[in-house]
Amino acid sequence: MRAGRLRDPLVLLGLALYAAPFFWQALTSLRPDAELLPLAQLWPSRLTFAHYDVVFRQSLMPRALVNSLGIALLSTLLAVGLGALAAYALARLPVSGRGLILLGMIAATAFPQIATVSPLYLMMRAFGLRDTWLALILADTSFTLPLVVWLLAGFIREIPPALEEAAAVDGAGRLATLRWVVLPLVAPGMASAGLLAFLFSWNEFLFAYSFTATEASRTVPVALALFPGVFEVPWGDIAAASLLASLPPIFIVVAFQRYLVRGLLAGALRE
Amino acid sequence: MTDRRLAWLLLAPALLVLGGLTVYPALWVLWLSLQYRIPVFSIARWAGLEHYAFLAVDTRFWNAAGVTGAFTLVSVALECALGLGVALALRGQRHWRRAALALLLLAWALPSVVTAKLFEWLYHPSGGLVNFLLGGLAINWLGDPALALPALIAADVWRTTPFVALLCYARLLTIPPELYEAGQVDGAAGWPAFARITWPLVRPILLVALLFRTLDALRAFDLMFVLTGGGPAGSTETLTVYAYRALFQTLQVGFGSAIGVVVFVLVMLVAVGYLRLINRQERTA
Amino acid sequence: MARRPARAVLLGLPVLLLTLIAGGCGERATTGVPVTLVFKHAKILGPADPVPGLLRRFEALHPGLRVQSEALTWSSDEQHQFYVINLEGGSPPFDVMMLDVIWVPEFARAGWILDLTSFVPAAERDAHFPTAIQPAVQDGKLWALPWFMNVGLLYYRTDLLAKYGFAPPEAYDELVRQVRRIREGERDPRLDGFLWQGKQYEGGMVNVLEALWANGARLLDDAGRPFPEPARARESLAFLRGLIESGVSPGWVTAGDEELTRRPFGDGRAIFLRSWPYALDLFELPGSAVRGKVGVAPLPRLPHGEGGRGSTGGAHLAVSARTRHRALAVELVRFLTSDAAQRAMTEGAALRPSRPSLYHDAALVARDPSLPALLGLMQRGHPRPITPYYLMLSTTLQPEFSAVLVGRKSPERAIADATAQVDHLLRAIAP
Repeated sequence: MRAGRLRDPLVLLGLALYAAPFFWQALTSLRPDAELLPLAQLWPSRLTFAHYDVVFRQSLMPRALVNSLGIALLSTLLAVGLGALAAYALARLPVSGRGLILLGMIAATAFPQIATVSPLYLMMRAFGLRDTWLALILADTSFTLPLVVWLLAGFIREIPPALEEAAAVDGAGRLATLRWVVLPLVAPGMASAGLLAFLFSWNEFLFAYSFTATEASRTVPVALALFPGVFEVPWGDIAAASLLASLPPIFIVVAFQRYLVRGLLAGALRE
Repeated sequence: MTDRRLAWLLLAPALLVLGGLTVYPALWVLWLSLQYRIPVFSIARWAGLEHYAFLAVDTRFWNAAGVTGAFTLVSVALECALGLGVALALRGQRHWRRAALALLLLAWALPSVVTAKLFEWLYHPSGGLVNFLLGGLAINWLGDPALALPALIAADVWRTTPFVALLCYARLLTIPPELYEAGQVDGAAGWPAFARITWPLVRPILLVALLFRTLDALRAFDLMFVLTGGGPAGSTETLTVYAYRALFQTLQVGFGSAIGVVVFVLVMLVAVGYLRLINRQERTA
Repeated sequence: MARRPARAVLLGLPVLLLTLIAGGCGERATTGVPVTLVFKHAKILGPADPVPGLLRRFEALHPGLRVQSEALTWSSDEQHQFYVINLEGGSPPFDVMMLDVIWVPEFARAGWILDLTSFVPAAERDAHFPTAIQPAVQDGKLWALPWFMNVGLLYYRTDLLAKYGFAPPEAYDELVRQVRRIREGERDPRLDGFLWQGKQYEGGMVNVLEALWANGARLLDDAGRPFPEPARARESLAFLRGLIESGVSPGWVTAGDEELTRRPFGDGRAIFLRSWPYALDLFELPGSAVRGKVGVAPLPRLPHGEGGRGSTGGAHLAVSARTRHRALAVELVRFLTSDAAQRAMTEGAALRPSRPSLYHDAALVARDPSLPALLGLMQRGHPRPITPYYLMLSTTLQPEFSAVLVGRKSPERAIADATAQVDHLLRAIAP
């Protein structure tokens, strides 16, 4: 039994070691410049916030954080909003070609971004949407919407039809039932889908890199990839910027873990 | 309003968005791949299958295909093996489960650019932790054509193993312990238990994970683009990186689209093939 | 329920429209409202930055005018991408821009920059190096003015060469011999032989082109077809790879750019360096380990070619075709490329002017005695292929050359593959 009690902390330690690359980057962000190259000792002689200072005062990260947050939130709202409506229709209402549409949704989640980036680029260019939030919101939604629809359709189907029938008996129309019965019940599912959509949008790189040109719409991944270094690469500053870029994902993984896991599993298990 | 009409009303916005941003571009990229298209110089001419004919004999294309194939096969194999291992280790976890999952999922949730910068620093010849732990060797992981691809694969495996591990872990949790007692094996540990009970039950979910991960690996772009840029000398240049360079560096929208279409077809073929495999598995199970 | 919002919209809309129109009219306001010109340029390498002073002088000459200086990113490729994305779709947020010389034909063909022919008298044109004006001329028109000039040259350690009785090498096999002899004598394992830029980027392309030209090979013939002298081109590539294999150059030059190679030479850890003139100022700074021990020479030759075929480079200034202040923007360009401004830039920064006359100017030569020698090098310099498609060519060829340098491909294979790729590219451009 003692082995059993030792096992849990050992596994936890093992996983902490697994996440070590990230913690190393966190340590790097606090290591003074002079001790970065070459690496002489594991633990720095002192910790410094100089890198964070540079990132906040002299880099484009603050603006990029605002851009990313706005784009991810709006894209998530759009995807979940449109997706919930479509999912309800596909799950509960008579739709001719429902199977085909659902299959199309699944196929759409497998589309490679590299294939759609050139036509989307031309499209954004034609509508003058380059370097705007809207371009990325639309591009991100195009990828998260099929997943959201598919997830939510599954979640809605799990709700016992009896509840909706009871509402119908009480005289509620379809829309009212959707609003007052279905949506509250599928809210956790919407949270899961929303979290996945937010993560995708926050982490998205290819579209953001191709459609943005200035800090007006540069997102965090792009700002990080293009982190300026005049002569040498500022590893400490990059580490600090990386940590900032990771805050929302970390927050989601820690605070909303249950919803996140549920979303991931539902997506995979609904084959 | 009839149910039918309401259905279409609710579906319309989503279908419109997807139609305009996914279906239409998918058809458009096919159309672009049949043209000589360089917007900067206003070049727009019919090319027919010229780009594809060139790709068939283009050594850079075949190199990229090889890199993509090697990356996908090795990466996915390692992820699945490692993911299953982690799931098995995690299965008996009673306390601090949330902390364990948080540590595990951290690697998966990070933006790929963050992961790329992370590993770029780890692999640094003089400032990187890897060389430090190896006793001060000055190995140029990302600058040596023979080492760059394995280094890239290691970074990708680190990033995606948690997903596989989570799937397997969830499945393992649903296996009732009574099964092991009924099978007359000593507890859930040990090879016989694994081979006769655990593996058959976990295999279907592993196949699903394999499908997702293969599709993702074929489409992967961010990590290799930021970590190595496809270098050195194309040793980590996948089809996606080649397509990106053709599109946005040499501004050949027609040619780049052709490479994109190839990736598209490849991904779709693999998806269809896998789905049929899974369906057949489910039918025989 | 829908009535009240509708009325609010009906009232609010005209007010909103009026405010928007009024705001938009600000630009065309009468005098008293300051005009701002946006000048986009990269940070100037070197000890000091002369640009702010020059811009203030220009502002003083034009009261009511503000010049806003905006920095570009460090990497040349990123600068290009920035320009393409902004210039491609409508109104770019800048008026005057600094362009790498190799981009001028491309930007001219794309219609992004203003034709300066009518603004610039012939005398002003002729005051610059012909090899600087040539790349800026497209279809008989002038599209940009040269701002500063660069040429590839060979740096060498005067003390080490003198110690062993060597003169600066005129041929590459002489250079190799000198490296071997000096390293034998010095017995310093940290002393590298010949540093150059072999990384996969435009700078690496320049180094390869210089090796081609040194062997009498061209990249394109007059009809624009690639590798008209394939055997000599092969030799050049084999030579560069050979430098690494034999240890004359350290393996890391395949990841080396200008700064990564300048530093070791500046710390005294290399005998030869191929680089641009800017490095000389940094070597001569007080406290530099090689102060007073650095000489410049023309690049050596290979068996079939001539020496001194350094690549010309540098930056030009152009005006955005969509600028709203044409006259003022062109004035700024002419001001910054004028004799006085280039003089200030040569004094303040590690830059070399594009006006030959300044190389004999007494005051400038007193500060920098290497100027007359540089003049000769500049005049022998060779421009990269002048075509709007140069960058496309370069980015297509870079991976092939890089593969040879790291030993992943033989020169024969690389040239064959490169030719196939360029042919494919040319099919799109020139049917």
